[in-house]
Amino acid sequence: MSEGLAKGVGVARAHHFESVAQQREATTLGIWAWLITELLLFSALFLVALILRIQHPEATVAAARHLKFWIGAANTVVLICSSLTMSMAIEFSRMGWQRAMVRAMLATAALGTLFLVLKGYEYYADWDEHMMPFLSSRPFALEETPAARLFVNLYYVATMLHAVHLFTGITLLLGMTWMAAKAGFLSRHQNWIEIYGLYWHFIDLVWILAFPILYVVNRGT
Amino acid sequence: MSASGTIEGAAHREPHAPEATIGRKPDYLHAESTLRSWFFTTDHKRIALLYLASITGFFVIGALAAGVVRLALVVPNGAIMTNDTYNKAFTIHGVVMVWFFLIPSIPATFGNFLIPLMIGAKDLAFPKLNLTSWYVFMTGALFTLVSVVLGGVDTGWTFYAPLSTAFSNTWVLPALIGVTIVGFSSILTGLNFVVTIHTMRAPGMTWFKLPIFVWTHYATSLIFLLATPVITTALILLIAERAFHVGVFDPAYGGDPVLFQHLFWFYSHPAVYIMVLPGMGVISEIVPAFARKKLFGYRFVAYASIGLASVTFFVWGHHMFINGQSDLASLVFSALSFAVAVPSAVKVYNWTATIHKGSLRLDTPMLYAMGYIGLFVLGGLTGLYLATLAINQHIHATYFVVAHFHYIMVGGTVLAFLGGLHFWWPKFTGRMYSEPWGRVSAILIFLGFNVTFFPQFILGYLGMPRRYATYPPEFQLLNVLSSAGATILAAGYIFPMLYLVYSLWFGRKAPANPWDAKGLEWETSSPPPTLNFVSPPEVPRIPYDYPIQATESKDQHR
Repeated sequence: MSEGLAKGVGVARAHHFESVAQQREATTLGIWAWLITELLLFSALFLVALILRIQHPEATVAAARHLKFWIGAANTVVLICSSLTMSMAIEFSRMGWQRAMVRAMLATAALGTLFLVLKGYEYYADWDEHMMPFLSSRPFALEETPAARLFVNLYYVATMLHAVHLFTGITLLLGMTWMAAKAGFLSRHQNWIEIYGLYWHFIDLVWILAFPILYVVNRGT
Repeated sequence: MSASGTIEGAAHREPHAPEATIGRKPDYLHAESTLRSWFFTTDHKRIALLYLASITGFFVIGALAAGVVRLALVVPNGAIMTNDTYNKAFTIHGVVMVWFFLIPSIPATFGNFLIPLMIGAKDLAFPKLNLTSWYVFMTGALFTLVSVVLGGVDTGWTFYAPLSTAFSNTWVLPALIGVTIVGFSSILTGLNFVVTIHTMRAPGMTWFKLPIFVWTHYATSLIFLLATPVITTALILLIAERAFHVGVFDPAYGGDPVLFQHLFWFYSHPAVYIMVLPGMGVISEIVPAFARKKLFGYRFVAYASIGLASVTFFVWGHHMFINGQSDLASLVFSALSFAVAVPSAVKVYNWTATIHKGSLRLDTPMLYAMGYIGLFVLGGLTGLYLATLAINQHIHATYFVVAHFHYIMVGGTVLAFLGGLHFWWPKFTGRMYSEPWGRVSAILIFLGFNVTFFPQFILGYLGMPRRYATYPPEFQLLNVLSSAGATILAAGYIFPMLYLVYSLWFGRKAPANPWDAKGLEWETSSPPPTLNFVSPPEVPRIPYDYPIQATESKDQHR
């Protein structure tokens, strides 16, 4: 991995590692191990969603018709674009182009925020259509099909868990951007950008799984 | 207290102690002494001691709750306390012992302390993450303790829906949040171990030179990583269910309470091996050291650890034989559960083969290890009764189950924990404990344990259900016997707490290798310096290179 790095770009060795190569290997393995546990966290939710779909196909489809397909689709595009800007940030960091890297990171954070804004608007639209069955004060639009509320509630649990991940991701990204804008960052912590990039792509990937499982497969009758 | 003061004081009491050398670097215990240097340390050895102190606290809480349960069961009619109090007592006992003692017990303390030493590294791969995991653990613990202080929980440690979601009027939410949070501390610990074992081994320390302790912790860490997130999701859904009536586990909306059991046991059965495997690692270190003999069948023991960690993901349905899952599913889960006996037996046979014709020394750690082997066999074999579909119908959710898993959890894990604590105490603290007291309490615990739990096998077989506050009068004799055993067990637990703490100040100074044991952790001083080794350790040619060779072929030895 260290080949392909521009001059003056690299990683400062922490005291307990024997070499930078060992340190890079450890951090890469560490983030992948973390992503695997995260994937299992979401997998369990997706599994429950699919079980509901098998047990209550009509109710699930009736509920899923209320999802805002085009907002979900637009958000998919937004997140894929953010993964592109994050990849650019990684590439710029390897080349030592610090200013370009910082801009790409800011663009990534902006796209992530755009996703949250769209998602928030979608939640508002859901609220408007009485599609929030967990609110006891607001009657549920599909009260006559009780199983529909299962799917809708699960949709909230899954998308909110994803939104929490994205919000955490944006916060971390902005904090890191602030540090990465300082002189000498790339000579000491270039691998932070690479490691963080994997986490960002993961958030993107989870949405790419969630969108078909929640929105797409339940559209048909 | 200053480092030099301690050394001089000890030298005064103990003429044979090595003299304090001017300019010698202080060990990790004396490197710094401020409170800050403990609570913000990134040294894996100090974090291990932070964990040790916390889980000891939880053990005391859990043990007191167990005492309350045994007290209530002395009389058959539940006259000593209300049924609600009884329910809360066994729930506190279960929640605290499982989530806050057994799961972190050996990995977060001994694993944390020893894995870097055993593989010849300066620290775990992510020292700050390691410290974070302790704070996460304590945050989760705080939530659970708050629920206990506010009035307790009565759902049992399994939090089954719909009791936990719709019917219980106790403080379920904070307890659930606490257990969810503590899962992340397990994940972080497991992640740290996996990465450390993969990338931080000293030059020459290949996979098949690793001590079995490291192998079992590797297997445990894989379970931490792959099973814990699933229970996190299950608990998040349970929290959402209780707080917002999400409905996933509620039949009124077409949800399915059995789905919770599936998600719960998908983690909680592998979690049994989170609790058992590290103990097996401890026993695999103690037995060769006190038999003076190379571990028999090293590779088989290593593979059996990975085998257990793999099979355990496919047996969760054996907790659900009588709740309406399909007969075919029960049959498959039953057969797979029998398969668990194979790697377990491989380990037991290899330990006994190591003891066979060894040169035995029955010091305290070895007494615990021998007790472990016997009790683990009994616990394991009764597991086969429970895995048998027809017998399970009869003994499901009776005291037979309670006795079975206490033989594994207490007879296994707690004995391994105490054995390991005595074995590595000199390494942790630089002090020797009192050997006679050690032996006395090891024997007391073994006896007290059997008197407590063996009657429960009989009670369960006769049909006494678990978790009931009352029982028919004819069961009183065996219940009183069990409660009496618990008091012996309690005495056995109290002794080590006293003489181990005593040894911290008044114990004999420990040499680097008091047991003449093999393994890199014995190459460095007791207690080790902050960076573990003064000069890079030399990795031995073969693991467990004890004087008596394991007779893998018969003629070799003769």
